Amino acid sequence: MNPVVRWFHQLGSPPYFDRFAARWAPWGYGLGTLVMAYGIWAALFQVPADYQQGDSFRILYIHVPSAWMSLFVFGLMAVYAAIALIWRIKLCEILAMACAPIGAAFTVITLATGSIWGKPMWGTWWDWDPRLTSELILLFLYLGIMGLYNAIDDRRAAARAAGLLAIVGVVLLPVIRYSVVWWNSLHQGQTIRLLGESSIDGSMVPPLVAMLVGTKLWFIGSLLMRARADNLHRESGKGWVTALVEVKR
Amino acid sequence: MTYQTYVIAAYMVFVVVLLWDFVAPRIRINQLLRAARLRIARGASSHSNAMPDIPHQ
Repeated sequence: MNPVVRWFHQLGSPPYFDRFAARWAPWGYGLGTLVMAYGIWAALFQVPADYQQGDSFRILYIHVPSAWMSLFVFGLMAVYAAIALIWRIKLCEILAMACAPIGAAFTVITLATGSIWGKPMWGTWWDWDPRLTSELILLFLYLGIMGLYNAIDDRRAAARAAGLLAIVGVVLLPVIRYSVVWWNSLHQGQTIRLLGESSIDGSMVPPLVAMLVGTKLWFIGSLLMRARADNLHRESGKGWVTALVEVKR
Repeated sequence: MTYQTYVIAAYMVFVVVLLWDFVAPRIRINQLLRAARLRIARGASSHSNAMPDIPHQ
């Protein structure tokens, strides 16, 4: 058997996944922290202040990567949920449900930091602007998925129901992404483009890239850790969990 | 630094939420392992209590 395919099959085994997650989660957290520490240091002390916004624009180095993460995590959660629904892979159910609290955390950061930035720049903490409102709905969706998953005792049935909600919720992602284009919005339009010229000065980009990479690495650590917790919860009472506890004694 | 209070508040939110994200799964895993340990201890004690007395010969 192809080694990659064999590894993928092994990963589906709960005790193997537990060892894998316990081994690699600290690396995700550690590398994520290091890269974000550089990003934050550069954002606060390296890049020049914006000529219009002054130093308040430094908030965007945590606001923008968190906003991207809130959308990315939701998309990934829906992919895991779809795989779990179609092929009934238990690990994908666990990973999908582990995504929800992390995505919710990044959405909270996005809304809170956006609000803190909005007060000095827009003169208000909140506005029922299409981008802000759709991001708030995204937070409610995350909370709904987490609530639904915890409301049903049967873990597999709960994951299927919550996964279905995640798949349906994907329709919100393009609405959030294009809300600034489709409607008149207080929120600024696209500043950074992967294809084409960005309207941000080149000297301001490196910390943003570092934060983008750092949040992704952090997410890997957090996803593995949360999935490990759910895996242990589902498998409690099994022989390998007993063996694990006895080894730790 | 202009708008210093806002910048500090925003970065504090970021750090606090990520700290929660770091701590929450660890607490959950420790709870689950503690529960498993207690289950094993309970099982062992009930097993030893249920052992029939073997008459000495």
